[in-house]
Amino acid sequence: MDKSIQITVFYILTHMGLIFFLYPANIIESTTAAHWIPICIGLFVHILIVIIYLTGLQFFPHKDLVSIYTASGATMTFLFLLPVGVYFLMINIIAVRAYSEIIMIIFLSKTPLWAIMGLLLFSATYLAYKGLKAIFQTGLILAILVLPLILFTIVVSFQNVDWRYIYPIWNDDFSFFNKSVYYKSFFAIGGSFLFLGFVHPVLPYRPKMVLLSVIAILPLFLISVYVPIMTFGQATSSNFLFPYVMTVDAIQLSWLMFNRVTMFFLLGLVIFITLFMALVLWKTARIMHAFLPLRNQGLLVILLAIFIFSCALFISDWKEIEMIFGWNTPLRFYVVFGVPLSVLILGLRQTKGETTP
Amino acid sequence: MIIRKGSFICCLLILLSGCWDNKDINHRLMPVVLGITGEGDQYKAYLQVPRPESDEMGSQVIIEEGHTINQIVNKISVNMESSIDLLHIKVIIVDKELAEKGLSDLITGFMRSRDISSKALIAVSESNLDDLFSKISHYKAPEGSILLDYFEKNAGWEPQIALTRIWQVYRSIHSYTRDVAIPLVGMGDTTFLNHTGSAVIKNGKMVGRISSDETLLYNAFSGHSTNGKIEVLDDASVMILGNQLMTKNKFENDKPYLTTNISFKVMILETKNNPSAEKIKKELDKLLMGRLEGLLEKSQKNKADIFGMGQYFRKEIPRDKLKNWRSNYYLALKLDLNVEVDIQNAGNLKIPSK
Repeated sequence: MDKSIQITVFYILTHMGLIFFLYPANIIESTTAAHWIPICIGLFVHILIVIIYLTGLQFFPHKDLVSIYTASGATMTFLFLLPVGVYFLMINIIAVRAYSEIIMIIFLSKTPLWAIMGLLLFSATYLAYKGLKAIFQTGLILAILVLPLILFTIVVSFQNVDWRYIYPIWNDDFSFFNKSVYYKSFFAIGGSFLFLGFVHPVLPYRPKMVLLSVIAILPLFLISVYVPIMTFGQATSSNFLFPYVMTVDAIQLSWLMFNRVTMFFLLGLVIFITLFMALVLWKTARIMHAFLPLRNQGLLVILLAIFIFSCALFISDWKEIEMIFGWNTPLRFYVVFGVPLSVLILGLRQTKGETTP
Repeated sequence: MIIRKGSFICCLLILLSGCWDNKDINHRLMPVVLGITGEGDQYKAYLQVPRPESDEMGSQVIIEEGHTINQIVNKISVNMESSIDLLHIKVIIVDKELAEKGLSDLITGFMRSRDISSKALIAVSESNLDDLFSKISHYKAPEGSILLDYFEKNAGWEPQIALTRIWQVYRSIHSYTRDVAIPLVGMGDTTFLNHTGSAVIKNGKMVGRISSDETLLYNAFSGHSTNGKIEVLDDASVMILGNQLMTKNKFENDKPYLTTNISFKVMILETKNNPSAEKIKKELDKLLMGRLEGLLEKSQKNKADIFGMGQYFRKEIPRDKLKNWRSNYYLALKLDLNVEVDIQNAGNLKIPSK
């Protein structure tokens, strides 16, 4: 059964969750003018690695990433599978901690942190325990429920736009390459696509459909950065931790019966992030399963969730989150580039071996 | 199996109920108007809280002093039987002296904590806030506060009142090219409020004032509609039906030039001594032109770019120079103004064309 719709929808949802919070501030901080240049470089990288990854995966129609690596020997397993596992684990800890802090900063300022983290992690763990099919089907239902609201918010966020803020269009200054904050923005760019290598034995999809969803999310990256800039200007929006959320806050619609559209927007995105966490949790458990073949993979999910929760409790402030985020960045680049390339090379080697016996 | 499922559902009930430290709506006070004055290095805050009474909406004013707005709110919460929630504040009124001293800290605080919506409107009061708030509860209004209706676009707002929100003032604190005007009000004799013009805010500080008529042009420039404003001339009075703005910019020899065409569509209401349409047109033209030029001169003198004219030169001036827009380029700006008046109709009666 072709499950392309579920995969494409999920791809869009998780990226939305990643884009609209931290990405705009990272880009606005990394350059002062012509933001489309760093954005487009990131997008180009994104498209490139997704295409490489998809081509590589086509050589293994019935194997997921874990079985591809374990079948290619212990070296490959240690060189790639282990870092991917560590990377996923770190992403999970960061995501739980950072997004609960975001929820706290933005709307639940009086709720204790552990309760927010517990709630986020609980829903994610439950989904991950139920398995891949549950995660993706939930994604589809949530998309039908929440996506219209989010799209509505994105459309009305153009309300206070002053197009002249778009200038200057060109900037010769490429110093953003030297800034670590620019590399942090790759959290949104390379954060979620790896799941494509885990799902195809269970939920087969057509690569073309995935590319379609890649194209669908491209404008979101630009919107998330340019709408705040065109509303507030570069000088003002560089002060914001979440520029896009601030812009949504400034929307004034007297005909809408709700005063703050932000709430719906944020809750929608937090739901998407929960889905993302569920998937990452499942993937981490799947990788651990290769090293620790327990009878029940669900038990691993629960153990991991407890581990993540206790790790997240040890992170005390936003500075520390950013520090761990910084540590995670080199590993991210290794994983984001290494995995697609290695899969492609393994695939090419495999076909060579078959044609010349 | 049933026990497992049952305990799981109980878990869900506890975790997903969302009942955490929340206070029910009947235990919350939701003020709609916040007045702030400075007293020494302290703030004094006035909160108007709507109270439903038997058949209409009454209100109550709470006054407290403190070093920060949050401390004040906290103090009030301690003394009150319910907790204060600033989420629904729609209008913030600031004392003129405080506005002249600078609003940056105050506005930055609002933006940081998000307790107060960044969409709240801001106004400057010329009369003492003590007097203003002692009178305010006598005026009953369906939304809980008369001040709210005064600024509401679908209620008492008129095109000569500036409509500026907290986030726009915050933008003006940091922006290189954008300043704002916020409404100036005072106590009226027979009406509650008296609109006295607008305060020009530059980098979060009040640096000057413009009249009510000039605010109309400011609004026309910032893209608000000026529908309904009545202009009185020597020979006639007309009502503005619409306005349109066309701007062209040029940057030569390090000097900015701007050509602006504003066209107004008007309807004639009353005339004196039977003037011709041409004459009315010319007169209105002269009036608006003179007013606009005076306004520009005034704002150049204050170095406050309330029209956001620097916005037009973002393409030409690099960012590191744009930083000095207000001090270097704005003063040198040459504006070529053209006002065009179109008499759309003359009501039920004919008007001589010559």
